[in-house]
Amino acid sequence: MADIQHYSHDAGWKHTILRGLLYLVLILFAAYYLFPLFVMISTSLKSLDEIREGSLISLPRVITFDAWTYAWNEACVGVECSGIKIYFWNSVKMAVPAVLISTFLGAINGYALTKWRFKGANIVFALLLFGCFIPFQVVLLPMSQVLGSLGLASSTTGLVLVHVVYGLCFTTLFFRNYYVSIPDELVKAATIDGAGFFTIFWRIILPISTPIIVVSVIWQFTQIWNDFLFGASFASGDNAPMTVALNNIVNTTTGVKQYNVDMATALLTGLPTLLVYVLAGKYFVRGLTAGSVKG
Amino acid sequence: MASLTLDKVRKAFGPVEVLKEINIAIEDGEFLVLVGPSGCGKSTLLNLIAGLEGSSDGEIRIGDRVINDVHPKDRNIAMVFQSYALYPNMTVRKNITFGLEIRGVSAAERDKAVADVAKLLQIEALLDRKPSQLSGGQRQRVAMGRALVRDPDIFLFDEPLSNLDAKLRVDMRTEIKKLHQRLGATIVYVTHDQIEAMTLASRIAVMKDGILQQFDTPQNIYERPNNIFVAGFIGSPSMNFINATLINDNGNLAVSIKRDNAPIILPLKDAPESYQSYVGKDVVFGIRPEGLTHKRTGSDEPGSQYVNFDCKVEVIEPTGADTMTVVEIGGKEIVARVRPDRAPQPGEIMTFSADMSQISLFDPVTELRI
Repeated sequence: MADIQHYSHDAGWKHTILRGLLYLVLILFAAYYLFPLFVMISTSLKSLDEIREGSLISLPRVITFDAWTYAWNEACVGVECSGIKIYFWNSVKMAVPAVLISTFLGAINGYALTKWRFKGANIVFALLLFGCFIPFQVVLLPMSQVLGSLGLASSTTGLVLVHVVYGLCFTTLFFRNYYVSIPDELVKAATIDGAGFFTIFWRIILPISTPIIVVSVIWQFTQIWNDFLFGASFASGDNAPMTVALNNIVNTTTGVKQYNVDMATALLTGLPTLLVYVLAGKYFVRGLTAGSVKG
Repeated sequence: MASLTLDKVRKAFGPVEVLKEINIAIEDGEFLVLVGPSGCGKSTLLNLIAGLEGSSDGEIRIGDRVINDVHPKDRNIAMVFQSYALYPNMTVRKNITFGLEIRGVSAAERDKAVADVAKLLQIEALLDRKPSQLSGGQRQRVAMGRALVRDPDIFLFDEPLSNLDAKLRVDMRTEIKKLHQRLGATIVYVTHDQIEAMTLASRIAVMKDGILQQFDTPQNIYERPNNIFVAGFIGSPSMNFINATLINDNGNLAVSIKRDNAPIILPLKDAPESYQSYVGKDVVFGIRPEGLTHKRTGSDEPGSQYVNFDCKVEVIEPTGADTMTVVEIGGKEIVARVRPDRAPQPGEIMTFSADMSQISLFDPVTELRI
C-alpha cells in the first residue's frame, strides 16, 4: 500500500511538471497571438503626441478615447469626413440579410439533399461542394456582369446577393453533413403522420438544427463581414462596407499619420465578429464536430 | 381495422430485385409477422405497405382499396419504428398528437385522445417530458402511443423491440400481444427474431433473399417447414439436419444414417405417399432437439413413435430446464434435449429416443420438404 502511494506521489510530481510545461507553451503561443492586439488597443488609447514620443509596446500614460470617437464620427473616408459609422451600418445591412438568407437556403438544401433524395442528388451536392473551392477572383467579372444586368451594381442588395450565392456552398455543406446523421425514420414517421416537405422542415428538422445554425451563422458572418474583395468590387462610395472604408481611412490620410485613429477603426471593424465568437463560440466548436462522426 | 392483401408484389432497385412476387393475404384482426435474416427484404416490404417506397409491380390492397398510388398519410396506417423516431423537439404529448394536429383534429378531441392512449399505455406521468428524458422502454411506449392514437386500419411495426434489453424485450412482447388481443387490430410486424415471430404471430411470413419461403400459422411453420432454411431458422436450438438415405426395410420405410460400424436405422410409421419416390435415395433428415431425447417409450405420450438408438455423448450444455446434449451422428453435431435428471456425462454411451412423428425429410438438392 505504502509502495503504491509512493509511486503515485512520484507520478504526481511528474504530472505537475508536465502540466506546467504544457501551460508555459500554451501561454507563449497565446502571448504571441495576443501581442498585436495588445499593441492595437494600447495605441488606440494613446494620444498622437504620446505615440510619437514613446515606444510601440509601452502602455498609454494617459488613457484617452478621443481616437475612438474620432474614428466613429469624424475620420475622413476619401473626401467625406463623417467617420466610419455609416459604413458600419452598411456592413450590418449587408451582413445580416446575407447571413440569414444563405443559412436558411443552406438548411433547405441540406434537408432536401439528405431526406428527400432525388435522382442526381449526389451530383448536385458534388457540384455545390465544388463551389467551395472556387476562388473569389474567378467570379468577379461574371458576377459584375450579372449584377449590372440586374441593375444591382454598386448597391447593398447586390452585395447581399453575391454573398448569398457564394456562401450557399458552405452552408449547404454544413447542413447536409449535419442532417445525414439525423435518422431518416424521423422523416418517415412525420410523413405517415401526414406532414409534407415544408411542415416537416419547419416543425421537426429546423428546431433540432440549433448547433449547426450557430456554426453557419458564425461562419457566414465572419466571412461576409471581413470580406474586402467583393465589397471593393461591387459597392463603391457611400454603399461600401466597413472593411473598404477602413482601407480608405488608413490609406488616404494626408499629412500626419494618425496611428491611434487607424487602430481604433481597425478594432471597431473587427469588433462584431469578435463579439459573435464570444457569444456563440462554444456552440461553434460543438456544432463543427457534430455530425462529423457519420459522413 | 381491415384486411391486407399483397398480390404479386415486386420491388427492384435498378437491376437488383429485392422482392420477388410476394403473395400474402391476411384477414381483419390478424397479426402478421415478417421474419427473416437481415437483408431478406422484410423491411422493404413493410415500407411498401406503408407507402414510404413504391412497389415495382403487383397490387397492395387494404380492405378492398388498392393503395399502390395512395400517399402514406392517406393509407390510414400507423407505424412504429425501430429507433422509435420520436420528434426530439416535442414533448411526449406533442409527439402523440402531431399526426392528429396535422390532420386538423380539434384541440379538445386531441386532448381526449391523448388521455385515452396515455391511460392505456400507462404513460400519463410522462406526457410533458421530452423524448431525451425517457428510458428506452418509455420511448417504446410513446412510439406505440403515437400509432395507437390515430386508430388506423393497420399497424406496422418495424423491429420495435430490437433496441431494448433482453428482459424489457420479453415484457414488451407480452404487452404488444395483450394490446393486440384487446384492440383486435390488424398488425404487420417485422422482426429478425424467430421467437418474437412465434410468440406474437397469428401468421408468419418467413423470407429470405427477397423470396417468401413460407406463409403459414406459427405451428404449421414449426411442424411442417417448407424447406431446410425455414426449418433451420425457426426454432431454438435449431433443427438438426443429418444426411441419410431412405430405405425400404422389410416393407417399412426407414431412415438409414451411416455410421462407422452399423448404420442407425430409424423406421417410419405411416410414411406419407410423397416419400415413395425417394426410396433408395439420399435425403436430409431433420429432427428438432426436443424430438431427440433420453430413452422414452410410446406410453409416455400417445401419438409419438419412439425409436431408440445408442450414441456417444460429446458435450453437455445444461440450461436448467433441459440439458442440451451434443452427439455426433453422420459426421455432424446433433443436439438432443434431455431431462436434467437423465443427463449423461460426456464420453458416456447413452440410449436416445427419436420421436419419428415429429421429423421432416428434405431433398438434398432442392432443399424442399419431401
